[in-house]
Amino acid sequence: MAELYVKPGNKERGWNDPPQFSYGLQTQAGGSKRTPLTKRVAAPQDGSPRAPSETSPGLSPVGPPLLSSMASRPPPMGSCPASNVKPTNFPVIESETLLEDVLTPLEQALEDCHGHTKKQVCDDISRRLALLQEQWAAGKLSVPVKRRMALLVQELSRHHWDAADDIHRSLMVDHVTEVSQWMVGVKRLIAEKRTLSSEEETNEEEAMAEENQTVPVI
Amino acid sequence: MATYLEFIQQNEERDGVRFSWNVWPSSRLEATRMVVPLACLLTPLKERPDLPPVQYDPVLCSRPTCKAILNPLCQVDYRAKLWACNFCFQRNQFPPAYAGISEVNQPAELMPQFSTVEYMLQRGAQTPLIFLYVVDTCLEEDDLQALKESLQMSLSLLPPDALVGLITFGRMVQVHELSCEGISKSYVFRGTKDLTAKQIQDMLGLTKPAMPMQQARPAQPQEHPFVSSRFLQPVHKIDMNLTDLLGELQRDPWPVTQGKRPLRSTGVALSIAVGLLEGTFPNTGARIMLFTGGPPTQGPGMVVGDELKVPIRSWHDIEKDNARLMKKATKHYEMLANRTATNGHCIDIYACALDQTGLLEMKCCANLTGGHMVMGDSFNTSLFKQTFQRIFTKDFNGDFRMAFGATLDIKTSRELKIAGAIGPCVSLNVKGPCVSENELGVGGTSQWKICGLDPTSTLGIYFEVVNQHNAPIPQGGRGAIQFVTHYQHSSTQRRIRVTTVARNWADAQSQLRHIEAAFDQEAAAVLMARLGVFRAESEEGPDVLRWLDRQLIRLCQKFGQYNKDDPNSFRLSDTFSLYPQFMFHLRRSPFLQVFNNSPDESSYYRHHFARQDLTQSLIMIQPILYSYSFHGPPEPVLLDSSSILADRILLMDTFFQIVIYLGETIAQWRKAGYQDMPEYENFKHLLQAPLDDAQEILQARFPMPRYINTEHGGSQARFLLSKVNPSQTHNNLYAWGQETGAPILTDDVSLQVFMDHLKKLAVSSAS
Repeated sequence: MAELYVKPGNKERGWNDPPQFSYGLQTQAGGSKRTPLTKRVAAPQDGSPRAPSETSPGLSPVGPPLLSSMASRPPPMGSCPASNVKPTNFPVIESETLLEDVLTPLEQALEDCHGHTKKQVCDDISRRLALLQEQWAAGKLSVPVKRRMALLVQELSRHHWDAADDIHRSLMVDHVTEVSQWMVGVKRLIAEKRTLSSEEETNEEEAMAEENQTVPVI
Repeated sequence: MATYLEFIQQNEERDGVRFSWNVWPSSRLEATRMVVPLACLLTPLKERPDLPPVQYDPVLCSRPTCKAILNPLCQVDYRAKLWACNFCFQRNQFPPAYAGISEVNQPAELMPQFSTVEYMLQRGAQTPLIFLYVVDTCLEEDDLQALKESLQMSLSLLPPDALVGLITFGRMVQVHELSCEGISKSYVFRGTKDLTAKQIQDMLGLTKPAMPMQQARPAQPQEHPFVSSRFLQPVHKIDMNLTDLLGELQRDPWPVTQGKRPLRSTGVALSIAVGLLEGTFPNTGARIMLFTGGPPTQGPGMVVGDELKVPIRSWHDIEKDNARLMKKATKHYEMLANRTATNGHCIDIYACALDQTGLLEMKCCANLTGGHMVMGDSFNTSLFKQTFQRIFTKDFNGDFRMAFGATLDIKTSRELKIAGAIGPCVSLNVKGPCVSENELGVGGTSQWKICGLDPTSTLGIYFEVVNQHNAPIPQGGRGAIQFVTHYQHSSTQRRIRVTTVARNWADAQSQLRHIEAAFDQEAAAVLMARLGVFRAESEEGPDVLRWLDRQLIRLCQKFGQYNKDDPNSFRLSDTFSLYPQFMFHLRRSPFLQVFNNSPDESSYYRHHFARQDLTQSLIMIQPILYSYSFHGPPEPVLLDSSSILADRILLMDTFFQIVIYLGETIAQWRKAGYQDMPEYENFKHLLQAPLDDAQEILQARFPMPRYINTEHGGSQARFLLSKVNPSQTHNNLYAWGQETGAPILTDDVSLQVFMDHLKKLAVSSAS
């Protein structure tokens, strides 16, 4: 559920800078990979460039037009054999995320950690949540950041630690400039909540034996 | 029966091994006449999602000089519970745990399909991974800000229990103490004076016995498995403070006057980083990550002075023996690299600047330790940011794609010896019965250390057939090689990957056709190229080219079919047909040609060439060219000027660059805006197709390549024009009399001319 986008590189600072892929695209599992483009054509043994397969079939039945007329000649119409492009659907903009919806659960989570987590750490987290609040209130956070924070909080309240942690990582990767100052507090909060709840769990039940991964002996 | 192509592919997928020859000439004399040495490309940690590690220790041959590992090639007496080592023929008793084995109840390592087995060792202390950031602060504001953000971001990508440390440098070097308690302290060192490891450790207070510095003992319970120093702390403990510390980093405060370079103490900073880890965590997985925005300008390891009017050394200076500081600086970094390798740590270099940064002098730091080398224009580019992110990518198991402190140990059958290795490794100087006296690459040993590696790290391993001509190997005999890679997995476990392979011997006089048919020209091209590039590091460029040419001519003489002195009759069989063109493109490549490249760029290109797997290496030698048109799906085309056609879009992958080139007509159509008209949607799709394909390459490539989107007549079309075979040039254009393809303005010889000369020389009775 991470954001999937590609944005252009920084051409100002980097010569031929490549485009930048979002965290979601980078971590996407291989999925439907196309066949890798690694094929080569062997040059004929006399080294001449004209391999039989290379004879260009010409543009169209009309035959190759003169160079000067090319600009005026339109490309052929119709479906394109090279196209395997799927249109990407972008979700319609959702309703505005509210600061309270994000901040209150985070503060609640921090509250839960008091007593278990060192006071200094709690203070540190609290300082960063205040920073989040301040930047949000001042309108310094973009819509995607707000939206993803809302998702993060949801996952946190459902005790989906890995999912929450993954959203935090995607925000750090995709929007580091906006979030770097306070996100580390949220990251720490996720970690503290996770240890807190796992401690509670171990108190309740026995530790599960870990599954052994061995090549079977037949 | 499978073809050799399928056989080769299967072996690569299963064992991560590609041999130049898949049937081996059975005597020393015949082997030398094959021209291309018996050698292989080995990817020790090739990703194998279908191969879960076994959770027990390997069984070793009891002969002290052998110690080969039980494998499917061993003969087993199930009744007597004995096995015979296939390398030294020692008979060994199975350990008690194997009491239950029988023909129908075999352990995995005896089954033929397990020619590669990974063992997860049950013992050994597990120390967390260590990442020590060494950060240059003599950067422009914009660059420093971007770098700080990338570093803060990386704290979210690191394993939570990894230890991190921070050293910053400019005119001075600061070692930052990391603590959770508010106040941050740092130790400041002068950047001009080199210190010994002992001095550094004394000054940082690492040697006092009272310090909680000792490594966790293997036997200690895992409650607090590591007690780290004040300079290296677990990410999950200090992430908040370190984020602040990084956020507060300022540019080097020392004024830089007009006409001067900032004083940058890279040499001392690295020395301190190496000394710090040496004193605290020897022989545990650790990365020193150097981020630098310019050349070292003072102290040991200085590459250029601070006077801007004196430019940094060029190839011209080096050839004229006018690079005053080069030797001394190189020596400094070599000393550091060797120490680091001894400690089992690795050094990454992330150099981002428009001018050279001294990669030539510092290259050994990454090359000898298996570290990464990244070269960009600025830290505020997606090239740097994404390359850096990709260091921390994970595999199908959610484990980091990095491994540490590996030793590669190679065993061979008696008819073979090991001549050497070329790759991101150092020799461990282990002499033994299977070590050849003739060196190819880094030789004189049967073991190498690879301090940092990932699933694609690939070594070239060279062998020598030593069997005498008059001692024939019996018909059907096979030679075997075992590769044993002992390493620290990113999950901190110790693991051993064992790959045992065998190939048939053949008598080169009576069975030359068998040997020929089993030639792997792709592997051979890469292995010869590695030898060439290895030589180019110490020899003059032209000598290396001459050597490569001589080898190619000899190969054609040996395996071509021709009538003496009749070049037109010359033919190569399918298994050799691509080899000459690989050599043609290799001769033109930046790995062997320094023209138009700075010494730093050459070092950078060669660094990557010496570690990539076969597919990537081959792309570097001969770039891939695909053509997109309305006539059908994208198709691979010759890397030749004749492929540059007006109604095509080309996609070229050179590994370091991805180039999209629109032919003249396509460019005009785009300019006219046909792609925006609904009735020409197919044109829009045609424009989009190479962009999508390029994106797939970009998403998978490490390091991020540069991305060039150009068209006919565009100035950046030069990237394409400089790579294609110049079959049409301004010199012969009219001779062709056709207007297909694009003439290239060059005096370089074309593949055709190259082939003509090659044939002439190959068939000549004079040579």
